Amino acid sequence: MLKYIEGPEVKLTVNDKIFIDAEFYGSDEKLCGLEPHRLFPISGLNKYISLLDSEGNEVAIIRNIDNLLPESKAALQSALDEYYMIPKITKFIKRYEKFSIWMWTVETDRGVYTFEVRNSLTAIKTLYDGRILIKDGSDNRYEIPDLYKLDKRSIKMMLPDI
Amino acid sequence: MEEIKTFSNKPIPDDIMKTAEKVLGEDKVLFAVVGDLNLDGKYDSSAFIVTKTQAIAIDSKHEGGYKQFAFKDIEKVIVKRMYGNAIIRIKTAEKTETVLRFTYVNADIADAAAIFINNIIDGLDFDEQLLIVKSTYDKQRSFCPKCGRKLASPDAECYNCKGKGKVISKLMKYLLPEKGKLILCIILSIVVTGLSLVPPKITQVMVDDIIPNKDSSGLIKIILFLLGVYVVQYLVSFIRTYFLRIAGDKIIIDLKKDIYAKAQYLPLSYYDKTSTGSVINRVNSDSVILQNFIMRISQEGITQGFLLVGIAVIMLIMNWKLTLLSLLPVPLVVLGGRMFGKKIGPRYRRLWIRSSHISTLLADTIPGVRVIKSFTNEDSIIGKFKAYCDDWFKEDKKASVIASVFPNVMTFLITCGSVIIWLVGGKWIIDPNNNEISIGLLVSFISYTSMFYAPVSFFANISDSYQNALASAEKIFDIIDAEPEHDFAKGSELERMDGKIEFKNVNFAFDRSKKVVDNVSFTINPGDIVGIVGTTGSGKSTLINLLMRFYDDYEGEILIDDVNIKDIDMKYYRNQIGYVQQEPLMFKDTVFNNIAYGTPNAHVEQVIYAADVANAHGFISRLPDSYDTYLGERGIGLSGGEKQRLSIARAVMKNPSILIFDEATAAVDSETEELIQQAIERLIRGRTTLMIAHRLSTLRKANRILVVDKGRIIENGSHDELMALKGKYYKLIQIQSMSQKIREQKESENFE
Repeated sequence: MLKYIEGPEVKLTVNDKIFIDAEFYGSDEKLCGLEPHRLFPISGLNKYISLLDSEGNEVAIIRNIDNLLPESKAALQSALDEYYMIPKITKFIKRYEKFSIWMWTVETDRGVYTFEVRNSLTAIKTLYDGRILIKDGSDNRYEIPDLYKLDKRSIKMMLPDI
Repeated sequence: MEEIKTFSNKPIPDDIMKTAEKVLGEDKVLFAVVGDLNLDGKYDSSAFIVTKTQAIAIDSKHEGGYKQFAFKDIEKVIVKRMYGNAIIRIKTAEKTETVLRFTYVNADIADAAAIFINNIIDGLDFDEQLLIVKSTYDKQRSFCPKCGRKLASPDAECYNCKGKGKVISKLMKYLLPEKGKLILCIILSIVVTGLSLVPPKITQVMVDDIIPNKDSSGLIKIILFLLGVYVVQYLVSFIRTYFLRIAGDKIIIDLKKDIYAKAQYLPLSYYDKTSTGSVINRVNSDSVILQNFIMRISQEGITQGFLLVGIAVIMLIMNWKLTLLSLLPVPLVVLGGRMFGKKIGPRYRRLWIRSSHISTLLADTIPGVRVIKSFTNEDSIIGKFKAYCDDWFKEDKKASVIASVFPNVMTFLITCGSVIIWLVGGKWIIDPNNNEISIGLLVSFISYTSMFYAPVSFFANISDSYQNALASAEKIFDIIDAEPEHDFAKGSELERMDGKIEFKNVNFAFDRSKKVVDNVSFTINPGDIVGIVGTTGSGKSTLINLLMRFYDDYEGEILIDDVNIKDIDMKYYRNQIGYVQQEPLMFKDTVFNNIAYGTPNAHVEQVIYAADVANAHGFISRLPDSYDTYLGERGIGLSGGEKQRLSIARAVMKNPSILIFDEATAAVDSETEELIQQAIERLIRGRTTLMIAHRLSTLRKANRILVVDKGRIIENGSHDELMALKGKYYKLIQIQSMSQKIREQKESENFE
């Protein structure tokens, strides 16, 4: 049976970076060491967050982060930010191809990084809202929130792939 | 004692090495996981360094820059894969803490490090564990020195550097077998081109000599000559067109055959990431685009080149001053062509991506038309198709603007060349003091000028078709150049395969975000009948996929009769395994050919025998066309149980040493299940058999059971042993017998 958490009835605190504890107001129920997972990590960042116990079983689903009390929201957000690492590309520094493998050096919100893109046709996806998702050869993810906000050179480098 | 070499996935940064030396003192570093993130998730250098007795995690975010753990204090090392990054957590008696963070690039070696420490803590042999770590590092460090790409094995030849070159040189492979016809066509083209240069010259003779002198007999002669030229020109043209078509068709057929053949030998991991629609698109559409380009380059390119040189020479002989004037727009045309290529190239690539979306949707939905109809989803799928087509059209319109504007600008520039000739040549003729040219020469020169710009225009616009072909070629060579399944030991067959199966510390992940097989080790003896049970998604089928060598990129070893399966000829190896799937795939062919699928030249009685063993002979003989019954696509016309029995018959035909049943009775009713069970029991006698089953009743013949959970073997033993253990297997049996009882009770109530 699915158990939904609407928001104000729970107090969330960070347990250990990616883990949180959930304390329900008006009851003695306290769940510790829960791992929050986005059910829609691409299409809905703040909605439907599944809370898993140490065995990987779901104990509850938070319908919308925005409905949580501010401290709980901050705790959950911090755990999710730790768990999900999708660097946002802010600039293309270098892109070159050798034997069908592209090496991209990019500037991201987490620093400069170089990675390989093995098959641009399958590794690059443009979403309905214009975001571009990239999966590198090691299955790490990157995002370009809005290509047209990047500098002209970066746009030109990316255009043929989308 | 032998000096132990330090393994590292990349050079340990100096500052990290200094910290390690300071902390470790004399303790020798065995291996290091050099990470690429700090604990805050920013790109940075970090490391997890392991010695014989301790591990240190070095990260700027640790207090003092490092954390040190003696093995004796560690309870467990855990690698936690998150989303786009992973962490190493160390559990001690006091707490569990995160000590290193890294991207998936380092996930495999971090796993190896964790397994190493955990196994050493558990008291396993140090040297053996270090060897396992070494093999993981060897795999990580197996890069081609030339191109830097990861190799399939440390000593493997780099597939990417082998026989690679530019697109044109790759295409030569397809041109060379047709060189005879193509050369003939080129010669014929030169003849046609040469003949096309004659009429303007005749015009000059007529204007300057025959018409002013009213030479009737000369006129007849020259007209007959002109007619003769035209007859020969078109006759040669006809022969050339015929041979050109034959050669072109042969090239495209060879190309399609190669793509298809290559597609058969690509590993499953390729298909996990590439849609079948896009592969079909490459075989059908891209090969045609490429063929057109090959013909354009190999034929028109050469003839237009000859035409260009021929006309230029004639024009220079006629009048060098006018020739130079007519060349004035050429630099602009060439520059424009290059600019055009740069603009249109990315557009064609985007167009290809959109066209691939359309074919992928087609390949996905047309075979699934029953599901679409049953969910009345026609409108939604039509809407999606329309959206894809509109998207393609939108991109095509953008490409069309460029593709329409540029050639017309070019043509305009070319026309300007003719205008200049008219202007200057006309002035020279009007000027009575200037005898530079005659009227006939001017008319003739104008004809040559317009002819001259045809090849110029051809070369200026070639980049359009080149860019289009390049987009297609890239996709075609993505398949042709893709790394095929590695048959490391071609020709190496075992004298006899007894069927001993051994998994040694096997780890596997489809992608690095989640491990599907986690440090699995077990041994199955020849003739054992082993049941593999576990919940859906526990990794049962993946174990079979690895055993079948559908995926090679795993850590650890899988041995058959003590030989690594990678050291056995792949074709021979797979031939020794009979594989019966949950949803057997039948091909559009006769029942007979479907049974004899893997056994060419099978004797009729062999097939009937196999069908009989599989309990299929009965229903086949009742079909009107019996063994000649032609099945529809994917076996349409047969029930699930019937297809399953044909698939068992297929396995009987192979007479395999090892049998694998992957949920063979999951999708059939109880009566059919009984028939299939009988067939299976007849087939498995004396053969090592692995049976994946949800219904535990189907494992009644199994003498051993492996219980898989989250990619690990959590229980291993006989039915009685596992029941006594009262673990996961016991629970599964309890649940199943309870639901069986309820079902039986309900059935009896209904019956009463």
